[in-house]
Amino acid sequence: MPKTLTLNLITPQKQLLNALPVQAVVLPAAEGEMGVLPGHIPMVVKLDFGSLRYTKDGKEEEFAVLGGFAEILRNAVNVFAEGADLADEINEEEEKQKIKRAKESLSNKDADIDFELAELEIKQAIARMKVKKRHLG
Amino acid sequence: MESLRDIRQNIKAIRSTQQIMQTMKMISSARIRKAQQTMDNARPFAKKMLDMVADLKQEVLALPEPQDGTESWASRFFVNKTADAGKIGLVVITGDKGLAGSFNAVILRAAVAFLKENQDKEIAVFCIGKKGRDFIGRLKHKNIKIVYDSVGIFPKITYAHAELLGEAVMKEFFHNKLASVTLIYNDFKSMGSQRLVQQELLPFSLDQEVKQNDETEFLFEPNVSEIFRLLVPRLIKANMYRILLESQAANLAATMNAMDAASKNASDLADALGVKLNKVRQAGITNEILDIVNGANALNG
Repeated sequence: MPKTLTLNLITPQKQLLNALPVQAVVLPAAEGEMGVLPGHIPMVVKLDFGSLRYTKDGKEEEFAVLGGFAEILRNAVNVFAEGADLADEINEEEEKQKIKRAKESLSNKDADIDFELAELEIKQAIARMKVKKRHLG
Repeated sequence: MESLRDIRQNIKAIRSTQQIMQTMKMISSARIRKAQQTMDNARPFAKKMLDMVADLKQEVLALPEPQDGTESWASRFFVNKTADAGKIGLVVITGDKGLAGSFNAVILRAAVAFLKENQDKEIAVFCIGKKGRDFIGRLKHKNIKIVYDSVGIFPKITYAHAELLGEAVMKEFFHNKLASVTLIYNDFKSMGSQRLVQQELLPFSLDQEVKQNDETEFLFEPNVSEIFRLLVPRLIKANMYRILLESQAANLAATMNAMDAASKNASDLADALGVKLNKVRQAGITNEILDIVNGANALNG
């Protein structure tokens, strides 16, 4: 039985983690958080907005993941995320600003804006803030 | 013979054109670094996605099919057995501007060859880039229809552009039962060269190499059709994104090379004219001296 999992975290823009050996991963699956340990059966899961955590040599790192899906196969976890941010790098003030701006543009009825996009931005910012709060503890 | 003034003017014009070309070259080379980086960053996603589809091959073929002769949504993008063989799609990606050597010409030539070959079919064309749109828009053929175009997006490609294009291709492919969608674009090979790529995007080919544990059975959460509903659009968009970025980098590289060559040519031309200018001026001076000497000789004579 292998002792480690290989974790890949990729977004369309960037590969954030490349074949990182970890001991455990927690995925924000659509039907509730899901823990993955070495030797997991092959699986494909849909991911929701939420927190992705992994343990490497006793230390835990956390990412805010903005939906996507993950493939678990041959002791590797490939996470295809729409977007992902390292929890340590999330700035709550910035996220609050983003929400404020999006809400302002939503309340401005005349402006030619994309409502779906503005709403998505709010959702993403909230998700990032939640992960940040969780991470701080 | 040209007068000195004409030649001087000529040289001045060439020099100022050269300056413009030099500047365009500098702009391209400054942008290309960033374009290349974005491209390299985006490559793993599309590649890993394709690997994953290869892993899921068995599952795709085992998708539950409706009994009434129709085809399930996901299967359409892989097996596509209920397609209308008389309809196909073509995605042509060119630049917005010329001044990039044969960059656009190569693509348009390939596109024309493709359109000719399939002229008995209905072809839905997706044009990215002004050059391609204008050119294909001028082709008056009843079977060729531009269903989507997007111009002026280079050199600032974002994932949003890929999403729009991907959506459009998917919608057309599914609703109009296209038999296939082919891509024609330039691949970024290196700074010095681009490679024309003509490739079938849809339906996804499943005859990739079979991996050894191909027998693995997957668990799907929430369920297999939901996963495919999620996976297919992302796969298309990720591919589009990669291809747009490849084109963008290739276009910048082509512009850079073309402008470099042009500015060298201009420099040669200006030098040659400079030599000519000196010759003409010298000839004028010699003539004047001869006149004076002859005049003096005549007086003394």
